[in-house]
Amino acid sequence: MHELLLFASVPHHQHHELRQQLAGLTAMQPRHRLERRLIFKAYRKPGVITTRVGASQNVQGVDLQRLNKMLNGGMFYTQVVGPVLHENFAAAGVTRGEGGDDPDAAMSGIDESQKDSFSNSSYDYESQSWKLEFRDIPEAGTRSAVTARLMASAGLPKGDIIEPMNAWGYGFVTEYVVEGDIFILNDIVIFLHRVLQYPSESADPHVPRRQLPPFEQMTPLDKSGSYVLQAAITVQDGGNQETMRTASQHLFGLREQLRSAVRLEQADRLSLDTRAK
Amino acid sequence: MTSLNQDQIKALEQSRQRLIQLTHSLSSLITSLNTSDPLPSWSSLQSQATIISNNLITVSEHLTDQKDLFGSLVAYPGPDYPSRTQGPALEQLLRTKLDPRVEDWLSRGRTTGQKSQSQTQIGGQELSEGDLAELWAWAPVEANQEARRRNWGGNFTLEEKEAGIENVVTGLRRELEDEDESEEEEEEEEEDQMDIVGARKKASGGGLEFDIAARQPSQVAAAAAGPVMPLDDVLRFMTTGLPPKQR
Repeated sequence: MHELLLFASVPHHQHHELRQQLAGLTAMQPRHRLERRLIFKAYRKPGVITTRVGASQNVQGVDLQRLNKMLNGGMFYTQVVGPVLHENFAAAGVTRGEGGDDPDAAMSGIDESQKDSFSNSSYDYESQSWKLEFRDIPEAGTRSAVTARLMASAGLPKGDIIEPMNAWGYGFVTEYVVEGDIFILNDIVIFLHRVLQYPSESADPHVPRRQLPPFEQMTPLDKSGSYVLQAAITVQDGGNQETMRTASQHLFGLREQLRSAVRLEQADRLSLDTRAK
Repeated sequence: MTSLNQDQIKALEQSRQRLIQLTHSLSSLITSLNTSDPLPSWSSLQSQATIISNNLITVSEHLTDQKDLFGSLVAYPGPDYPSRTQGPALEQLLRTKLDPRVEDWLSRGRTTGQKSQSQTQIGGQELSEGDLAELWAWAPVEANQEARRRNWGGNFTLEEKEAGIENVVTGLRRELEDEDESEEEEEEEEEDQMDIVGARKKASGGGLEFDIAARQPSQVAAAAAGPVMPLDDVLRFMTTGLPPKQR
């Protein structure tokens, strides 16, 4: 599957207004979304043969080169995404309380995996569902002004994810929370989100947290409180030029519609580089 | 008088280039207005206008920058100038007064400039208080009258009914009924009502129809300070967990 994307940075003061505008444009209420995202990095397993590449004396057979590529190439960062709720964050005394049922109403029906955790407000790491999201580095070459990349997603077992990921050769790097709203416009998924970081003092940084801190203690990655607007179209068959072109046309259409509000642009390719070096 | 140095010639050459660009964009606008039928879309007109105004700005900036030079330059024909064949051009170049048409443009521009300047000094309001009040008094009545001329309930306007609904091109395959209490309409109305109820349910916190303000995520310390982080840094962090560079 391929993914076509456009991005824009939304300053804090514009966020509320843009949310309203998007709600009007898409004729839907924003779907609130909270996700834990764990970043894993592929590591080279000890014992893998590391033959020198580019030795000119003995010309390497095509097969050997391909084998090398398979073994040593294709080291990628990958993300494990798990949906969470506001309720999953530790209660922080009086500040929340009744406010908790409001997100509840908006979240209901979005999140199949989390239904059981409605009853108890604490976070259960063992029943946290996960999804593996692989994203390739965006395609090089600027045929069109959108970011296009190969993507794949897969469901993962619930609960502790470190063990299976390690077995597949991935090491845990870091984690963060993405908070935002989703809008759907025809085939475009619009995600207005920001990155929240865990308070630094809590827990071991080498494994994902088993408990979530109070939501109030989460700090935005960008201190100015800006959001990221992402417009995405997923294309099943990335090899089909026709559908790819149609999809980018749709994105350009959205860009035109939002021109007076935000400037949707192609992202810098290297900033989305998922290759592990 | 000394002859021109390289820089001065370059300045002259630049003004020529910029004027050429300006005339090009003007003439392309004129041709697009003349040739395309129907008229070009407003967006293309607007972009052309932007180009022209940008050209004007560069020309005027250039002229202001080189004011001293251009003010002191004197044109005179060299001995080898073909004055017999290129007479009119020579006369144009040697004029000391502006062309009468150009004089007109200048005076018109000056008066508009003065007017807008004095207006901004007063307060920049195009409409006076009285005019505004008059507009507000006139608009609702007029809008209402216009609205009453349409039959909002039905599938057809009064105008269309009077002309005969058989002639209306709806582009629809199914038959549109002329009666207000047709089934489709009732369904639509039901849907409308359901929508409204749904919106109200969510709006328990506030009172607005589009009540998404209630869920403004202000729980997280919204420290709106400092410059906005570059998008690249955010994306890089999201892909690889690489903390953004400290600035």
